[in-house]
Amino acid sequence: MSEMKKTAITLNVNNETHDIIAYPNKTLLEALRDDLRLTGTKESCGEGVCGSCTVLLDGAPVRSCLTLAVAVQGKKITTIEGLRVGEKLHPVQEAFVNHHAIQCGFCSPGMILTAYALLKENPTPTETEIRRAISGNICRCTGYAKIVEAIKSLAEEGK
Amino acid sequence: MRLPPFQFLEPTNVEEALSMMNARKETLKIMAGGTDLLNRMRFRLIEPAFVMNIGKLRDVDGIDIGENETVIGTNTKLKDIARSPLINNKFRAIAEAAFEAASPAVTNMATIGGNILQDTRCLYYNQSGMVLNGLERCHKRGGTICLAVKGGKRCFSVCQSDMAPALIAFDAKCVLQKKGSTRTVALTELFTGNGVTPFAIGADELLTKIIIPQPKNGVGSAYRKLRLRGSVDYPLASAAAFVSVTKDGEVNACRVVLGSAGASPRVIDGRSCETHLESIAQKAYDSAEGIDNLQMPGAYRRKMAGVLAKRAIKAAMDRLKEGM
Ligand SMILES: Cc1cc2nc3c(=O)[nH]c(=O)nc-3n(C[C@H](O)[C@H](O)[C@H](O)COP(=O)(O)OP(=O)(O)OC[C@H]3O[C@@H](n4cnc5c(N)ncnc54)[C@H](O)[C@@H]3O)c2cc1C
Ligand code: FES
Ligand code: FES
Repeated sequence: MSEMKKTAITLNVNNETHDIIAYPNKTLLEALRDDLRLTGTKESCGEGVCGSCTVLLDGAPVRSCLTLAVAVQGKKITTIEGLRVGEKLHPVQEAFVNHHAIQCGFCSPGMILTAYALLKENPTPTETEIRRAISGNICRCTGYAKIVEAIKSLAEEGK
Repeated sequence: MRLPPFQFLEPTNVEEALSMMNARKETLKIMAGGTDLLNRMRFRLIEPAFVMNIGKLRDVDGIDIGENETVIGTNTKLKDIARSPLINNKFRAIAEAAFEAASPAVTNMATIGGNILQDTRCLYYNQSGMVLNGLERCHKRGGTICLAVKGGKRCFSVCQSDMAPALIAFDAKCVLQKKGSTRTVALTELFTGNGVTPFAIGADELLTKIIIPQPKNGVGSAYRKLRLRGSVDYPLASAAAFVSVTKDGEVNACRVVLGSAGASPRVIDGRSCETHLESIAQKAYDSAEGIDNLQMPGAYRRKMAGVLAKRAIKAAMDRLKEGM
C-alpha cells in the first residue's frame, strides 16, 4: 500500500472556482457531493453503468463516479445546480416538469444534463437521436416515453 | 465504494511519462479514460501504488489519415472514432465497434488504447471483495483453480474489447514505446491468449499509436455484436468482417475476427466468403470458447459467434457491392 498525500485541487464548477484539499483517490462525484455539497449529482451504481452521476466536462456528459477530481482541474464542470437561469429553472428542467418526466427524480439530474448537452450540439434532434443520447441513462420509474416527449418538445421549439 | 489509496502522477509529454514508468515499473498503472482501471481498483482487483494519468499527453490524441496508413493516437476517444466521417467511410467496422461500445457518456471518456488494453473479464472475477471473499482464489487471483470451468487448468476469462477485433480485421499494428526504444508490432501480437496475463506489453511500455494500413482496391467491412442491453453493455459475442476484392472484383481476402470468444480476439481467414459462408460460420463456432462466465449461457454465446460471423460478412459484402 502506498503512502498517499493530500493535495490542493482546484475545480471550476458552474463557473465558480473551488479549492479543496483531498486525497488523489477522491472521485469527482465524491468531491462534488461531500466537499462542495452539490448533492444534485447522484450516485447509484458507482461503476459507470447507470448515468445518475452524469456531469458535463467541457460540455460533454461524463460519469463522475469514474472520474478522478484531481484529473479534471482546468476543465469546466457543469452540474445540475449550474443549469438554472437566476431563480428560474432552465427550459430543459421546465420541460421535464411539464411533461411529467420525473417520478422519484434520481435519474433526473443526469438525464437533464444529457438532454441539455444533446440540444446544445444538435438543437433539432430526431427521436432516434434523442433515444441514442440518453441510452446510457437508466430510469427505473418514469419510463422513457415521457422523458423522450419532454426532450422532443424542446427539439421542436429549437430551444 | 471508495477507491484504494495511491499516489497520482500527471506527465505532460511522452518522454516524461516513459521516465516515470521506467522508474516505477509494476507499481505504476496507467490511466487513460479510467473507465476500466478505476472500476477494477474499486473492486480491489488491483491496488497500484501509483496511478499515472496520460490524459494530458500531447501527440497521442487524434486521427491522422494518410495515403498508405491511418494513425490513431492512443488517447483518441471512442466517441471521436465513431463520428469520424473518414473512419466511417474507409474502416466501417472500426467506426461501428466504437459506436456500439459501452454508452455515449462512457465513449466520451473511453480511449482506443484503454479499450484494447482493458483486462479480461469473468463473472467469477469482476466482483467486489464482498463476493470474492466467499469464493476460492481462481487462477486470475493467484490461485490454482477455475471457478467457471470445473477442473479448469487455466484461466478462461474473456477479452471483451469491441475495438480489438475490428482493428485486427484491418490488420492493424500498434506502436509501443519505452525509455530509449520503440517497437511496432501487429495488434495480434499484443495478445497472449492467457487470461491471467492477457497482454504482451512490458510494465514500462506505453502504447502510443495504432496504425491501420490502407487496404488495396475495394474493401467492405462490418462489426456485429451480441449484448444484453443495446444501450450500455459489453459484448457477449462479436464478429468483425473484412472482405477485399481484386481490381477485377474477385474476392481475395475474407477475414473474420471474433471478440468475447476467449482471452484474445480469434482470427478466422478465408479466401472466398460467399460460397463458404457456412464453413466460416462453422469455423467461428469451433473457434469460440463458450464458457458460462459472462451474462449469457456459454453455449448460446458460442452459437451466436457463428451467426454474427455470417451477419458481419453479409453486411461487409453488401457494402462492397454498394461501392463503400
Ligand atoms: C458501463 C461500462 C460499459 C462498458 N462497455 C464496454 C463495451 O461495450 N465494449 C468495450 O469494449 N468496453 C466496454 N467498457 C470498458 C471500457 O470502458 C472501455 O474498454 C474503454 O475503452 C477503456 O478505455 P479507458 O481509456 O477508459 O481505459 P483505462 O481504464 O484508462 O485503461 C484500461 C487499461 O489499459 C491500460 N492503458 C490505457 N492506456 C494505455 C496506454 N496508452 N499504454 C499502456 N497501457 C494503457 C490501463 O493501465 C488499464 O489497465 C465498458 C465500461 C463501462 C464502465
Ligand atoms: S453512479 Fe456513476 S454511472 Fe452509475
Ligand atoms: S425518475 Fe426515478 S429513476 Fe428515473
